[in-house]
Amino acid sequence: MAFNPLNERGIPLERQLRNWSELNVQPYDTRDVHPYTRCRVILMNGVEVEAAMFSHNFNRNLADVEMKQRLQRVRRVEQQQQKAVNWLIPGEKQENAIEVTIGYEQVAVDLTAWLARHEPDPYLKQVYEFGLLEDFDHLYRYANLMDLMGNGRRAEEITGDYTEITPGRPTIFEHRDPRDDIRRPMTVQAAHRQSILNAMTLVSAEQQTMNYYMTVGNRPTDPLARALYLEIAQIEEQHVSHYESCLDPTVSWLTNWVLHENHECWLYWSCFETEVDPRIKALWELHLSMEIEHLRIAARALEEVEGKDAAELIGAGYEAPMTFEENKAYLREVVSRQVDLTAWDSEFLPVEELPEGHRYFAYQAQVNAGGAPSEQVIERHREEFGGEYRFEPEGEHPVAPLRTEGPHAELGYWRAGAGDGVARIA
Amino acid sequence: MSDDKERGGLKGLADKAQDMVGGMVGMASASTAGSHNTEAFIANACMGDLYEVEAGRLAMQRARSDDVRMFGEMMIEHHTTAMHQMRSALRSREVTDALPGAAPTMELDDRRAGMLKHLQDAPDDDFDKMYLDQQRMAHQETVALHKGYAEHGDNPQLRSVALGGLPMVERHLKALGRIGVH
Repeated sequence: MAFNPLNERGIPLERQLRNWSELNVQPYDTRDVHPYTRCRVILMNGVEVEAAMFSHNFNRNLADVEMKQRLQRVRRVEQQQQKAVNWLIPGEKQENAIEVTIGYEQVAVDLTAWLARHEPDPYLKQVYEFGLLEDFDHLYRYANLMDLMGNGRRAEEITGDYTEITPGRPTIFEHRDPRDDIRRPMTVQAAHRQSILNAMTLVSAEQQTMNYYMTVGNRPTDPLARALYLEIAQIEEQHVSHYESCLDPTVSWLTNWVLHENHECWLYWSCFETEVDPRIKALWELHLSMEIEHLRIAARALEEVEGKDAAELIGAGYEAPMTFEENKAYLREVVSRQVDLTAWDSEFLPVEELPEGHRYFAYQAQVNAGGAPSEQVIERHREEFGGEYRFEPEGEHPVAPLRTEGPHAELGYWRAGAGDGVARIA
Repeated sequence: MSDDKERGGLKGLADKAQDMVGGMVGMASASTAGSHNTEAFIANACMGDLYEVEAGRLAMQRARSDDVRMFGEMMIEHHTTAMHQMRSALRSREVTDALPGAAPTMELDDRRAGMLKHLQDAPDDDFDKMYLDQQRMAHQETVALHKGYAEHGDNPQLRSVALGGLPMVERHLKALGRIGVH
């Protein structure tokens, strides 16, 4: 049955503030947390960070003092919500930065896969599948780094057996001219309501991933670890640009506020519906009740200032909860079909169809001059362990050139001349 | 003046006159059909971009002025982006639901094909001026087309295409005002 947040009663704003000990929640135990509970925590932290940063930017562009105060009252609570969610992640000695990184990439893979599978717009579905294969590859590169960093834990202990860890579109080839990250926006007027929710979810998740790598990427001492983080952090910037350019750039700040609160309602409702840990499920329920009130406040502001009805933005309610679940077969199908795709402006095409001298090759030559850390991490793993780290319970890689001993030179990217001058994996 | 040159000069005058008449027809068409009719908007926007890319290629090969060559190069890049934006829009649900089977127009109409022919045939001395004259008319037409559809068009996704491309075309028109032929 559809869940419509406008038909629900939330917690009054004046009762939403929590004290420090309430916010300083007990972290999950890394030894027995469900991988998808960790994913939900990472995702909802990203959603709260986006809520806070959107609200701050709105504040900087708003002259109406009384409205600024309304916004600030809600923002203070959103900031508390972010703390309560992000403080569920245990400290360094239980779960270190690279282990959390594996969690971030599992979010990127299984979240993007679910959203792509449930995206009603064929263009946006293509946008999501394109990004999906790149994050899929990051998981594999970081998993090899995790082995090299040597605390004895392997990536599959973080991800469980829900997500395969194997190459996607090789990271070295994901570096593109910035102009080729800009996509075609949807319009709030005509887009399917689910399309708006899906795009906002990806923007929040990828932005948080970008921010996380920008912050923790310089924490390791090992130069290769630092290098891998900065290389992938640059791709996350591409991904934020890629996904945010799908959003309607013409909506008002107030409309955007309503869309943000609605988006939070959808995801907290999704987490509540799918959570297996009763303690954390209670937190999702609490935050959903808070967000329902935030939405009511934003909807009232929209009606007062612009005379618009928020119900028109939200529709009849949510049809299905976003669900973290296995996407192995889907991933294998997408990687088989699309590994050789690249982007030219808002369009996607096989890399070998780019015209000679396309800006992609100049960008590749510039940033990959001297080698790519994402290749070096695999080479080093092979040197130190006699092979690379993969987790392929479903069998050998579906794309022959990406198998451990595959005919690597047959990958379209190599044939097209991308990565020239960079040592290939043997 | 040689016979060839004389023929080129007379032909050049005739071609220019034909371009001007064509440009006026284009303006009228952009301001009317293309502003209201979605199929006409798609066709005219696509053909406008195709023409710009082809004319830009000719400018890069034939123009004597660096400014004109650089402008032509910019037209290739920017109007390729515009073509890609249109293609992506035509694959979006917002368009496919309203216009099943909508596809980008991949061939020029006679008027625009004629303009390219005139550029190809222009004597070397006349090329830069003819290219810039055509560019001014073509961009005025594109501004009218995009402005019109952004205001009056009935498909929100294609209105967004028009709105997203309009500032770029207006900047081109301004840039044309700064380029002289020396």
